[in-house]
Amino acid sequence: MTSIVSIVMFILGFIVLGVNLKEVQVDQSAGYSYANTRQSVRRVQTAAPRGCIYDRNGTLLAGNRKSICVVLSTTPFQARTWEATQARITEAIERAGRIVGRENPLSERAVKRHINQRLAMPLTVWRDLNDRELARFCEHEAELAGFSLWETEERIYPNGRLASHLIGYVGRSEGESGAGDVKFNFSDREMRGRSGVEHYYDSFLRGVSGEKNLIVDARGFTQEEETVKATRRGLDLKLNLDAGIQRTVERELKGCIGACVVMNPQNGEVLAFASAPDYDISEFVPSLKSELYDRLAGDARKPLLNRASGGAYAPGSTFKPITALAGLGAGIKPEAEYECIGVYEIGMMKLHCARRWGHGPENMRTALRDSCNPYFCNLGLEAGTNALITTARTMGLGAKTGVDFGVDMAGVVPDDEWKRKMYGQKWFSGDLAQMSIGQSMLLVSPLQMARVAGALGTGYLATPRIKSGEVAELTKLPFPEEHLKTVREGMELVVKSGSGKPAGQDVSVKVAGKTGTAEVGLGATRRKNTWFIAYAPAENPTVAVALVVEYGESGGSTAAPKVGAILRSIFNG
Amino acid sequence: MARYFKNFNYLMFFAMVALIAIGTVSIWSAGNARSEAVFHGMWKQTLSTALFGLVVYFVLSALDYRRLLDFGSVAAYGTALVLLVAVLAFGSEIYGGKRWLWFFQPSEISKLCIIMFLADYGRKLRDFGFWGFMLTGLIVGVPLLLILAEPDLGTALTLVPAVLMMMFALRIWRKGLLVILAIMALGGSAIMGAVYEAEKPGVAAETRAAILKWVPLKPHQVKRVKVFLFPEEDILGAGYNLRQAKISIGSGGFSGKGIGKGETNHLKYLPQAISMNDFIFCVYAEETGFVGSLALLALFGMLVIPGAWTAFTSNDERGEALALGVSVLVFAHVYINIAMSIGLVPITGLPLPFISSGRTFLLTVMAALGMVQSVATHREATRQ
Repeated sequence: MTSIVSIVMFILGFIVLGVNLKEVQVDQSAGYSYANTRQSVRRVQTAAPRGCIYDRNGTLLAGNRKSICVVLSTTPFQARTWEATQARITEAIERAGRIVGRENPLSERAVKRHINQRLAMPLTVWRDLNDRELARFCEHEAELAGFSLWETEERIYPNGRLASHLIGYVGRSEGESGAGDVKFNFSDREMRGRSGVEHYYDSFLRGVSGEKNLIVDARGFTQEEETVKATRRGLDLKLNLDAGIQRTVERELKGCIGACVVMNPQNGEVLAFASAPDYDISEFVPSLKSELYDRLAGDARKPLLNRASGGAYAPGSTFKPITALAGLGAGIKPEAEYECIGVYEIGMMKLHCARRWGHGPENMRTALRDSCNPYFCNLGLEAGTNALITTARTMGLGAKTGVDFGVDMAGVVPDDEWKRKMYGQKWFSGDLAQMSIGQSMLLVSPLQMARVAGALGTGYLATPRIKSGEVAELTKLPFPEEHLKTVREGMELVVKSGSGKPAGQDVSVKVAGKTGTAEVGLGATRRKNTWFIAYAPAENPTVAVALVVEYGESGGSTAAPKVGAILRSIFNG
Repeated sequence: MARYFKNFNYLMFFAMVALIAIGTVSIWSAGNARSEAVFHGMWKQTLSTALFGLVVYFVLSALDYRRLLDFGSVAAYGTALVLLVAVLAFGSEIYGGKRWLWFFQPSEISKLCIIMFLADYGRKLRDFGFWGFMLTGLIVGVPLLLILAEPDLGTALTLVPAVLMMMFALRIWRKGLLVILAIMALGGSAIMGAVYEAEKPGVAAETRAAILKWVPLKPHQVKRVKVFLFPEEDILGAGYNLRQAKISIGSGGFSGKGIGKGETNHLKYLPQAISMNDFIFCVYAEETGFVGSLALLALFGMLVIPGAWTAFTSNDERGEALALGVSVLVFAHVYINIAMSIGLVPITGLPLPFISSGRTFLLTVMAALGMVQSVATHREATRQ
């Protein structure tokens, strides 16, 4: 009987086990499989090679060079304790160092940190092996168990300072820790754009990162590796920039503080984009050292500031063509004369003309040529605040240009509301008079002014385009053709017989332009920002330039000659 | 001779051979996962031990168990006592326990010795009634205490049900047996309940200490009961083994990951020190899945159910007790081992017959099953 009871008990026991095993192995299996994966799989995001940046003619602006690295896999060095593992790794590095001919670059702490945080990943020991070191490594490979060679890429900027503000630079950082619910345990320290085009077109240049799984054992050492997704190389980026024009522009700006933008007003292509002083981006790789950064950031001349699209300047007299358009729009005849007596008085304020004794009677064309302040103060007041503001905004001022670039300063076209908010004061007619000659609270960037210059020449406001192949938006200016013609004739006179003569000197095409000298600051910081904006050839402009030099003498003597040199290099080829 | 082959239980034999094959493969897989090369060839040693065990099996099955008990039961019991004392005196200490004497584990052998002795003398003890019961307690209790002193709780835990079932079958003061069973059930529940009250979340340290003072368990045993009661707590510490065991078994899924492809085993998440022994079921279940687990249970069923059936059909009280004792012993091992791997009972160190790598135990079980086969082959036509 007892035996039968036993048999029943056995059967019951097996049923209990079977039922519970079903629960663990069938019902809850997915949960345990997930737990198994989570503890034994490390997901790694691998960086794709970065695309290169070229100018419009194929000149390499940013590229990659191969760097041979020696990396160490921790797995062969595992020992019973972590201290012993660390000691074995350190010893192996020292020994390998004697073979390769390099010092051990890693501190005890660095090795320990790797063991603690990135054990499953290979430890990069030496970068940039030269040919002799590489030969020694290959010759003694049998003695270097656990070490292997890895090819990585480092960014190079072969032209150093050229277009440094435009190109920007890269830094290295961990990739994003996964999109959506995808989480990575590790990611390659991939190159990421930090500023400039490198930053703006980062996702374009960066390519598609890959994914691999490291299978780790209970202690965290990698046992196997499987590629889940291969990397896809980043795309090459072709810019509209012309390295030749850029070089000329930078040569002209050398030693100055200022900026210059050259663009094709017919399609928005940015041909040159320079800010001075600049810096050598080749010193920013493989990484931007903090000493260098501190030196640049501490420089009073602010080399890190991108003045071309981020510098905020009063446009000064380069604004006068806009005032002229506003006046024409308000019905003022271009032939109507105004008597300049050298000063324009409005209320308590006296606005002087560059010519202290006055220009005498001026019409619109001659006033543009002479940059007559009283004429334009009067014109602005006759047109009215609203007309002036509307015209300025129509020309793209006070708003972002829409350039495909990270720095795109909107600037300021002030109005009553803005002034009340910023200064707590209402808009006086004095403000209007000031604004008519490009002073007051107007702030523009050289990029905006290059756009304005081009638009005056073509009748279309073009969105600046940095990347080649991007279709530019062209907005037709809502001004009658004869209004534009008047302004153009005035601007042609500026170069032909006015203060802007140096801009057209020896240029093989007809140039139209406008000088500007904006006084800024008070007392000790009082200085002049000198401008010149131009478009050429005057009949059918393919080039628009805006150039500003801080601490200049005058638009005509400081900025115009530089624009002349730039235009000569473009057209007298 | 003809009767031998006629009465030979082929099902039991087939199940045993299949289990040996499964065990060899599992030990091969578990051994390969170890960093130490010495374990890589462990399966060969197990296999050769099993081949030797087959010789022992056939000799013992051919030998009349009555003759064996007549001449050998006292000697076996005496040897067991000597060995158990010797292992405490001269044994080598491994993992905080003295279980090994030279190359074998006396406690494993002693289980069979005690069953043999009890099967042989059960009839006589029964005639003394209460005192026979007390005497049985002494006969079993002395070696049991020696085993517990090693300490080898697992062996003691499997021996107790085998002895109790034998005493029932031999009708040694059954009333007392019922009392003992009741006390064990109550005591077990009380201890479990006390540990639960002490270890449940939010219990003050003093309260906990006060309760645990009354629990007759060592700290490591309290910890195991705690892991059993609260398996999700402390999965990187005390609960790690159970957690990893369940991950192994559970991630095996329905059909397993394939022989030799158990990830948790090969990546050493499964505790290496016991993956070849107490936790070998995890290695097997991960690689063969639920299908393999069921097959294993079926094979064990084909071993212990015919064993108990042999006891039932034996017309000799000694044979009945021997076959039953061995069957219950093997079943207890199977049940506790698999149940602890999935958290049904607290973790206790004990091997899974034929699958774990312990060679002393393998030989002991094969010898014991040889004796069960002997009971089957030497069945008389009528009860004596």
